[in-house]
Amino acid sequence: MTAVVAGVDIGSTTAKCVVLGEDSRILGKSLSVVGVDIVKDAERALEAALADAHLSRPEVSFITGTGYGRYKVYFGQLVVTEISCHARGANFLFPGTRLVVDIGGQDTKAIRIDDKGEVVDFAMNDKCAAGTGRFLDVCANALGYDVGEIGPLSLQARRAVKVTSTCTVFAESEVTSYVSRGKDPKDILAGLHASIANRTLSLMQRVGVEPEVTFTGGVSQNEGMVHALHRRLGVPVNVSPLSQYLGALGAALHGRERLSGGAA
Amino acid sequence: MITGGLDLGAGVIKGVLLEDGRRLLATASAPSRGIPVQAARHVLDTLGETANIAPDDIDYLCTTGFGRYAIPERNLQVSDFTSSARGAVFLFPKTRLVVDVGTQASRTMSISETGKVLKFKMNEKCAAGAGRFVERCSKYLQVPLEEMGPKALASERPKLISSVCAVLAETEIINNVAEGVPLADILMGVFLSLSQRAHSLMRYVGIQPEVTLVGGLVRNVGMVKALHDTIGMDLNVAPDAYYAAALGSAVLGHARLQKLTTAPQGVGG
Repeated sequence: MTAVVAGVDIGSTTAKCVVLGEDSRILGKSLSVVGVDIVKDAERALEAALADAHLSRPEVSFITGTGYGRYKVYFGQLVVTEISCHARGANFLFPGTRLVVDIGGQDTKAIRIDDKGEVVDFAMNDKCAAGTGRFLDVCANALGYDVGEIGPLSLQARRAVKVTSTCTVFAESEVTSYVSRGKDPKDILAGLHASIANRTLSLMQRVGVEPEVTFTGGVSQNEGMVHALHRRLGVPVNVSPLSQYLGALGAALHGRERLSGGAA
Repeated sequence: MITGGLDLGAGVIKGVLLEDGRRLLATASAPSRGIPVQAARHVLDTLGETANIAPDDIDYLCTTGFGRYAIPERNLQVSDFTSSARGAVFLFPKTRLVVDVGTQASRTMSISETGKVLKFKMNEKCAAGAGRFVERCSKYLQVPLEEMGPKALASERPKLISSVCAVLAETEIINNVAEGVPLADILMGVFLSLSQRAHSLMRYVGIQPEVTLVGGLVRNVGMVKALHDTIGMDLNVAPDAYYAAALGSAVLGHARLQKLTTAPQGVGG
C-alpha cells in the first residue's frame, strides 16, 4: 500500500489541494480560483497538485474533500468538515495551537482545539460578508486597489480612521465618503483592517481566547490583517505561507488516519 | 401660512410645501450624491418654482432625516420616526402601522388613534433590508431602478434568495442568472426578500390595519406586491407617500408655528 494521500479544499473563492507523502512531507500543492463548475475545479486542483508533486493519479491512495464545496469532490473517498480540517492542519504546523482563526473568502470561524488537534468548540459567521475576505475585496475595489495590495499599504498608515459600519455595503459607502473628505487611503485601509480584527475578536471570545492562536484561511496571507489581529489580541498569531492550505492539509491528514485505521 | 418640510435622507432629499397645514402645494426630490446640503437647496428652489413662491414666503421650515441638522435656516428638526408617521397619518388618517423602507434603513412604527407613535423598530445595520440592496441589484442586473418593479410583476415563480446578506445575495443572484432563471422571477425574489425583512420588523411592533407604506420604495409596484403577498393584507399606497417624512415634518412645522403665533409669550420656541 502506497501512502500518498491528498486533501482537496473547495472554498467559496479558491480551491486548494495538498499531496502528502509517507513521512507527512508536502509533496505538492495547488491553489486556483473557483468558478461555476465546482466538480471540474476540484478535478483541476488535484491535477495541479499532482503535477507539482510529479506524481500520477494512481499513485495517490486516498483523497479527502473538505470546504464549502466538499460534496463536489466526487473522486474522494472521505468528506470532512473544514472545521475539523483547519483544526488538524493548524495542529500539524503549530502543535501548540489552541485557537484557530480562519478568515476565508465568505466566512469567518474561530475554532478552539485540544493538543491533539481535535475540535473543542467553534463559532462562525457564514451569514453575512462583514468581517470576511469578501469585505476586504469590496473595500479594496472601492479604493481602486487590488486585494493583494491593501495589507502592506495599511501598515503604512499614520492615523487609522474609524470605520463604524458593520455591513459590507455600508462600509463601502463609508470608505467612499472618507475618500471624498480627503482621508489618506492608507489610513482608511488601516481602519478597515482594525474593524475586521474587532469583529474577529468577538467571534473568538465566544469560544474563549487561548494562546497559541493560529491564523488560517486566505486572509491570513494579508500581513495588514496579521498585524491588526496581533494588536487587537495582544498576543502574536502564528501564520505560515502554508496557512491558506491548512484546510487541504488537514483533509489529507484526516485521510491518512482513516487509511491507517484510526478515527477520522 | 406656508410651511416647508425637508427630508434629508441617505440617498434622496425630498421636500414639500404645505399651505395652512392642509393643502399640499408642491413636492420635489433630488439625489443627495454625497452633497446633501447642495441637493437640499436645489429641492427648495424647485419647490418655490413649482408653487410660485419666493424663499422668503416660506414661513417655517422643518427638517427630518439623517441630515436634518445640516440646514442652518431650519426652524425645527424632528426625528425620522415622528415625521414619517405623521406624514402617513396625514395621507391615510386610519393608519395604525407605518412601514418605511428607505435607502439605508428600514423602519416600522405602530400608531395610536390620535396619531402618536407607540412602538418602533428599525434596521440600519445591514443593507439587506434597505433600498441600497435594490439599487445594487439594479446595477449588476442592468435593469434601471424604475423598471425593476414593473418587470417583477411578470414573475410566475419568484426565485427566493437564501442569503441574508446583500453582498452574498449578489453572488447568489448572479448564479441564478447564469442558470437561466427568468429575470422577472429574480426581481420578484429580491422584493420578497426585502418584504420578509420588513415583515419581521412589523411583527415586532404588532401588525394591525391599516398598514401604510411610505418612503423610497412606495413607488415600486414590485415591492408593493411583494409586501402585500408577504403580510397577506392590503396596504395603503399613494404616490405622495414617497414624500411622507417631508410631508410629516411640514405638518409638524405648521403645528409648531400655530402654537408660536397664538401664544405671544412663546417667542424663541
